[in-house]
Amino acid sequence: MNVTREEAAQALADIDKASDRVFKLKGYHHGAPFFIVWGFVWLIANSVSQFRPEYQRWVWPAAVGAGFVISMVIGIAQSRKSPAGTQAAALDRRVGSRIGMTSGVMMAFIATMILIAQPSSADEGNAMVSIFFPFMYMAAGIWAGWRLFAIGLVTAIAIIVGFFWMREYFDIWMGVFGGGSLIAGGIWLRTA
Amino acid sequence: MEGPDEIIHQSMRLRIAASLNALPSGELLEFGKLKSMLGATDGNMATHLGALEKAGYIAVEKDFVGKKPRTRVSLTRVGRKAFERHVSYLKDLLEGGQ
Repeated sequence: MNVTREEAAQALADIDKASDRVFKLKGYHHGAPFFIVWGFVWLIANSVSQFRPEYQRWVWPAAVGAGFVISMVIGIAQSRKSPAGTQAAALDRRVGSRIGMTSGVMMAFIATMILIAQPSSADEGNAMVSIFFPFMYMAAGIWAGWRLFAIGLVTAIAIIVGFFWMREYFDIWMGVFGGGSLIAGGIWLRTA
Repeated sequence: MEGPDEIIHQSMRLRIAASLNALPSGELLEFGKLKSMLGATDGNMATHLGALEKAGYIAVEKDFVGKKPRTRVSLTRVGRKAFERHVSYLKDLLEGGQ
């Protein structure tokens, strides 16, 4: 069997492409549980704020703290899944570090946005933070797939409707649609 | 320089092996997922998986999830070594010429 240099170059390019697809798939699967965890954080904290407003002051730090701890445990478990020294372990490290850096950028953006805009009420702050995620889904969906874009679009519309026309039930509205969009996004990523 | 691996070098089989090689050792990938990732048909995929399985390069596991049949594949140790040897051959060929 004779292989020309052109065929060898083509074969190596095909190998890179196939590995990249697996890398993307692994990225989806790595990211999915984080989306689901933070969706539940959002859902629980907003639901408590709506129905038991006297606990609103502590439910957010408690829920966000629990979210961070669970996320760390998931991240550590994922990084130990692949045997050391294998190509898969290298992929895990790349995906894990990118998820970590992306989360950091997102948190920094949200904190900066709140600092600059200085929302005048809890509802405004809640809306500003919540609306960030569906727009991020839409932007990611342009690259990753139409389903993610559709989830983002529907959620963004729901949050805008909630902020302007459903203020009486705003927290629970945000919990269901803000948290729900994260949970739905996570499930979507798991099925990719 | 060792020669090419004639079983792996075929385009679809090469892409199947590359996809499975990117997974941790022993991790299984579903037939349907692999098929959609590589843009192959059922028949095409089954033929090439059969050739790789016959060579001992992949392991095929069939089971049921509820009432739905599920087929999953993974790269064996022999398959991983064969793939790595073939990639080295291709790289040597490009770097040194034949």
